Amino acid sequence: MVLIALAVIVLPLLTRDSYYLDVATTILMNLTLTMSFRLQVSTGQINMAHISFMGIGAYTSALLVTRLGFSFWATLWIGAVTAALLAVPIGSVALRVSGPYYFLITFAFSEVVRLFFNNFFENLFGGPSGLVGIPKPGRLLGMTFNGKLALYWLMAVICAVVVVALVRLDYSRFGLTAGAIRQADLVVETLGVNVFRFKLTTFVVGSFVAGVAGVFFAHYRQVLHSSDFGLEPMVLLVVFTVIGGTGSVWGPVVGTILMTVASELLRELHHYEILVFGAVLILTMLFAPEGLVALPGGARRLLRKLRGRAAEPAGAGVAP
Amino acid sequence: MLLELRAVSRRFGGLLAVSDLSMTVVSGSIHGLIGPNGAGKSTVFNLITGVLPVTSGEVRFKNERISGLRSSEICRRGIARTFQATALFREYTVLQNVLVGAHLLAAPGLAPTLFWSGTYRDRERQARERGRALLESLGLGAVGSQVAGQLPHRDQKALALAMALATGAELVILDEPLAGLTDQEKGETIAVLRRLREQGLTVLLVEHDMKAVMGVCDTVTVLDHGVRIAEGTPREIQANPAVIEAYLGAEEPGA
Repeated sequence: MVLIALAVIVLPLLTRDSYYLDVATTILMNLTLTMSFRLQVSTGQINMAHISFMGIGAYTSALLVTRLGFSFWATLWIGAVTAALLAVPIGSVALRVSGPYYFLITFAFSEVVRLFFNNFFENLFGGPSGLVGIPKPGRLLGMTFNGKLALYWLMAVICAVVVVALVRLDYSRFGLTAGAIRQADLVVETLGVNVFRFKLTTFVVGSFVAGVAGVFFAHYRQVLHSSDFGLEPMVLLVVFTVIGGTGSVWGPVVGTILMTVASELLRELHHYEILVFGAVLILTMLFAPEGLVALPGGARRLLRKLRGRAAEPAGAGVAP
Repeated sequence: MLLELRAVSRRFGGLLAVSDLSMTVVSGSIHGLIGPNGAGKSTVFNLITGVLPVTSGEVRFKNERISGLRSSEICRRGIARTFQATALFREYTVLQNVLVGAHLLAAPGLAPTLFWSGTYRDRERQARERGRALLESLGLGAVGSQVAGQLPHRDQKALALAMALATGAELVILDEPLAGLTDQEKGETIAVLRRLREQGLTVLLVEHDMKAVMGVCDTVTVLDHGVRIAEGTPREIQANPAVIEAYLGAEEPGA
């Protein structure tokens, strides 16, 4: 945690190269998304519409700023709150089912949202050619957030708040209940926790955070396409989170940093990079099903086991 | 009376699993629910705790209707339960298991949690201390930091009871608390149940060990094919011809 915080602070001192700053900003943006996605995974929900709430935040802010002249600093909240408000009815419907049905319902919803942005109200959302001309965030408290460096710092602050809050939650009784729901939801319910309301809370909070990331994304990239919030980025979001490991709150941190950097290195492959990610995902599932963060602990256990076996007198060892 | 079932029925398709069942559980008693396999005992537990909705009739607790409420709300009103196939959070430690949903060990609110305030730390420390005390009282003091999934069967049963008690329930519903235990372990569990009754707790249990049921229960209700065929003290039940014919005739009459 301290190391990562240090890296975030030191990086802009080492380089002003806009490419590295861009990659770093992308990592922080992705991290905000994967952390909020994992908040829901911790209760056992694989919300395939998570990226759509990012899109809802992004389009809300982009339209309010370009059409109605709102300030970015207002729409940062409005976009996130809009995503959270829409998450209430959608979550209420989707969370009536669980497992593969939940996966399918949220996936269907995300496609509806993407097609809506792509095919309807072309004069508003820009249709297939996208929504262009979104301005940079602009001034706040005498500072101007237009350059790469300033935007990097802005995203770093947003990401830090999100990470600290979600880590705190995960280490508290809230995280304990979330993991208990994943293990045996009926038992949690009979112990007096309204499991439906709990899951809905994580859905809405997760969507709020995704909305924040979306607003930043809109004003950072300055152009929005419906495919930014389609299946491919959603799959990447899942891959980032799962490769790091969903069992620990640090999983998405490790996964996002490694995979965003990998994604930059594989840039030449264009759309084929998802093939590489697919292979990495399969390998992770086979050899580290609990994700990369679980590897050190697993290795330690394996070592202890091997050492334990070696210590036993030859011939006395019985296969467990 | 603490708990009252009024003409409760539950239908699964064409099968009437529980038929027109009325019974009352008196406050401060240990009440046994017995019957042959498939008599509907576990279904009755699921109906009381809201895991299944009743088809007709109503369940009342402390003179309020609770049928139709969510399980979590029923628990908050004071009924906690264990499951037949002992249900735990297997990846968690014993102490963590007890902390989940434990209202007796009140959780700090959202703001204190996020800001890691003094309130938060005090509350957490208190919860842990009370959780440990509870485990201690059930003979689990030494295994608090062990992973629940690796506990021996006896300890898993005791932990399930500890989790129910941590909710602060006035009525605990135990589904086969003695199943799979040795005679000595059964004796220990029965002693715990007696002690809980002395402390004012009410217990409703399903159990197949007739000797234990007749020894520990104040009142016994007998179910057969979803119908109540007898209710009374263990002595009355053992002498009841309907019970002997429908149930005890099929097995050893216990004592």
